[in-house]
Amino acid sequence: MTATLVRFDGVSKSYDGRTRVVAELDLEIRRGEFLTLLGPSGSGKTTTLMMLAGFEDPTAGSITLEGARIDTVPPHRRNIGVVFQNYALFPHLSVAENLAFPLSIRRVPRAEIGRRVAAALSMVRLPGLGGRRPQQLSGGQQQRVALARALIFNPPLVLLDEPLGALDKQLREELQAEIRRIHAELGVTMVYVTHDQSEALTLSDRIAVFDQGRIQQLGTAQAVYETPANPFVAGFIGENNRLPATVLDATRLRLAEGSMLATLPHGLQAGAAALVSIRPERVLLEAAEAAPNAAAARVEEVVYLGDHCRLRMAWAGRTDFFAKLPRQQAGQVPQAGTTLRIAIPEAAIIVFPA
Amino acid sequence: MRAALLLFTALVLGFLLAPMAAVVLLSFSPTELMVLPPRGLSLRWYEAFLTEGRWVLATRNSFVVAFATTALATLLGTAAAIGLQLGRFRGKAVLLTLLTLPMVTPYIVTAAAMFFAYSLVGLSGSLAGLVLGHTVVAVPFVVVAVLATLQGFDATLLRAAASLGAAPLPALWRVVVPNIWPGIAAGAIFAFATSLDEFVITLFLAGPGQFTLPRQMYASVREFLSPTILAAATLLFLSSLVFLLGSELLRLRAARRAAR
Amino acid sequence: MRRTNLLAAALIAPLLLLILGSFLVPVGLTLFRAVADREVVATLPETSAILAGWDGEGLPPEAAFAALAREAGAALQARRIGDLAQRLNFERTGLRTALLRVARAADRLAAPHAQSLPALDARWGERETWLLLQRAGGPTTALYLLRAMDATRTPQGEVRALPVEERLYRTLFLRTLGISLLVTALCVLLAYPVAAAIAGLRPPWSAVALTLVLIPFWSSVLVRSTAWFVLLQREGPVNGALQALGMLEAPVQMLGTRFAVVLALVHVLLPFAILPMHSVMKGLDGTFLRAAASLGANGPQRFLRVWLPLSLPGVLAGGAMVFLLSVGMYTAPALVGGDRDQMVAWFIANFMNRDVNWGMAAALSAYLLAMTGAMVGLVRVLTGGVAQAGLRG
Repeated sequence: MTATLVRFDGVSKSYDGRTRVVAELDLEIRRGEFLTLLGPSGSGKTTTLMMLAGFEDPTAGSITLEGARIDTVPPHRRNIGVVFQNYALFPHLSVAENLAFPLSIRRVPRAEIGRRVAAALSMVRLPGLGGRRPQQLSGGQQQRVALARALIFNPPLVLLDEPLGALDKQLREELQAEIRRIHAELGVTMVYVTHDQSEALTLSDRIAVFDQGRIQQLGTAQAVYETPANPFVAGFIGENNRLPATVLDATRLRLAEGSMLATLPHGLQAGAAALVSIRPERVLLEAAEAAPNAAAARVEEVVYLGDHCRLRMAWAGRTDFFAKLPRQQAGQVPQAGTTLRIAIPEAAIIVFPA
Repeated sequence: MRAALLLFTALVLGFLLAPMAAVVLLSFSPTELMVLPPRGLSLRWYEAFLTEGRWVLATRNSFVVAFATTALATLLGTAAAIGLQLGRFRGKAVLLTLLTLPMVTPYIVTAAAMFFAYSLVGLSGSLAGLVLGHTVVAVPFVVVAVLATLQGFDATLLRAAASLGAAPLPALWRVVVPNIWPGIAAGAIFAFATSLDEFVITLFLAGPGQFTLPRQMYASVREFLSPTILAAATLLFLSSLVFLLGSELLRLRAARRAAR
Repeated sequence: MRRTNLLAAALIAPLLLLILGSFLVPVGLTLFRAVADREVVATLPETSAILAGWDGEGLPPEAAFAALAREAGAALQARRIGDLAQRLNFERTGLRTALLRVARAADRLAAPHAQSLPALDARWGERETWLLLQRAGGPTTALYLLRAMDATRTPQGEVRALPVEERLYRTLFLRTLGISLLVTALCVLLAYPVAAAIAGLRPPWSAVALTLVLIPFWSSVLVRSTAWFVLLQREGPVNGALQALGMLEAPVQMLGTRFAVVLALVHVLLPFAILPMHSVMKGLDGTFLRAAASLGANGPQRFLRVWLPLSLPGVLAGGAMVFLLSVGMYTAPALVGGDRDQMVAWFIANFMNRDVNWGMAAALSAYLLAMTGAMVGLVRVLTGGVAQAGLRG
């Protein structure tokens, strides 16, 4: 048993022979992990999942499962569970018959089917609903059945294609917890596709951020959020202020408008053009005079959001510099027009080559 | 204005239905005289229909051909419709046009072509040739009916079936067919009705002994107009009412499903 | 994806093969029959070969006369001269006799044949006969297509219209077109208000009225034509009713008249006009009319500028359907019409069954197909899609 369950090797996919939806993808999926493929629509994440499931054929490259090539194996012989966006429960079968479907295909004895269906129903907390038709269930219940159906034949790998996309926020959070619990209980490997970054952060052991058919960064939630590999990742996951700058030396930049910015060592050559990314929540407000990169900034606009305020500020020659003011204690909300003393810790500044 | 429109509609509907109503009434005539209103009621022409050898034989022939045609047309038409829906290739519209061309081709041309070509290979005058001919004109209805229900079929269900381990053919059988059976049944009913009523192609393709009900009716009309023909017409008419009822029930069921 | 397409192809293939083998190829063969000319080459191969080298001046060489006598005699012996006799006689009446005379006397004819043949039948001494035989050497001929348009080719090869008294088919096509257009117009005029009225009915009644249209739609053309055959008898119910109402003094001959044909065709085809119109009109939401009213349109304006244009696709589909079915209709005219009311289909049937003239049956079929094809094309151009609304699944 190796740690690698699935391996993509130089996998490309093109529909028209020219534009590649997925381009030279190399990816290792570890046994037992929860991997999320995150990206905007058209980024290649769903195509990647569909190639793994067998519904799309790679134009080039190979995919292996447990060391054996599967990209030429038809989907019904891959033994991979799939949960579809619209649930894809068979409307002509009851819930129990839907769950029994993969078992009867595999000629599991009838008595055992009954036992496993009941166990699966209780695993997704829907005991007693086996006789219902899928149409008689709520969206959340249907998705639980779909999840149970993808797991009931004990596949080593389960693929989930934006399974919570059609549900409202509260139900979505409830099911996220459920999926995490089941993943932990069963230890099955899960690959999850979503365009919702907060869902990815909530669920994943690792996240693969997709854009334009390529993986931009592969890492833990903390890694992709705090040390984004490039401006795309920084922009796609969470908010950030982006400022063009020029490198002065190993720890200093000059912003376009002229002010200086001290940073941690960034490794760029002096004189090179750079792009600075600063998360709004890392901007210190009402800072001391001696704080790093301290400066005066005028509040242009205040949006009250309950747990925090979002401030649009004029700083470094721009009027779209955002900062977050957490509401840790009740008190005055800053008014538009006032000037605040802000500071930016060196560690909060991410420097990309431009 | 509205009253005039409704009156006009009633008159037109009356015109549409009156001839059939008259035939049904006349078929119960106690004598050979065909006058309305009938002077009494009698079942003698139905008795004649059920006892005269040629009518019995024609009825049997009709049903044999209709059942064979329905089986063949339903099987091939359903398969082709599913294939047309599944496939992702160019020229699907052309293919569909080719498969449904017999619907817009004048029956007389189809009949002439079959008569000529089938006699080249020894199929004319045979049961197989007749069934083939009927199937050609009946199968487009099956294709159209099944395609219509397939529009409402979610293709991800097939992917789901594959991901659960079902090979393509078992998946079609266990997932697609149970979901589209109303369309298949409607197509089968139409195929059966088409074959049972088919006349022009039979006239040319059938052998000397192969009389179907319509062919026997036509031959009898030319020979001597006996009310037995009206009994046969009435029975054919009643069978089409049954088909209409069946297809309407299927349509209602489909509408209820869609509404759910 | 590739696998899916393979599966799709495997599912479509059986039906495609069936339609191909038992419909498309037969229709293609039939169309080819309209121009095929094989009888002379098949029965008189040697004669044909010699004539191919003849310059057409004067009379052909002695060898052609001798070959004709020998081959005609052999064909008669083998009982395969019928097709040739019919082919030649169809182009020029009398050639059957001329050919059969030679065939029967083949053994007794003395050389030189160039003299003994014309002595037997004067037509063998005419250059025109030999030119005709030369031109009939195949492999194709325009003979049937020309004849189906009342034209012929002179022995010199010019296309010329037949003399007026021999013309037949132009009238036939005009009659078929005329009857079909009349029936289509009547059906559209009757169907439009009916379809609109049914579309405007409330739920239980709309279903009832629609079922009343579907009943004749589902019952067969033959059964309904037979009904008219019975009703229109001289002693039949229609005559009886008209007399009882005092509208007629004595029974009138109705069967075998143009009136009977049009009446039966309208009755048979009316549902095909009502159903597509109704299905379009049912989809026309009342909100369109309300919107038009709110924009200031009065009743007639609302009808002319909103309802009518929106319902036109249904009219087109229904009208096209009626025309298509009418133009190729055999059953109804055959039952209730007289010889002078028959349409193209009846003639095709006669050429197949009675005259066994495949060339003419095929040529008429080709023109009939062209007429329906033109109609389908027209509808396609007008709507951007085939009118299948009338063909309920």
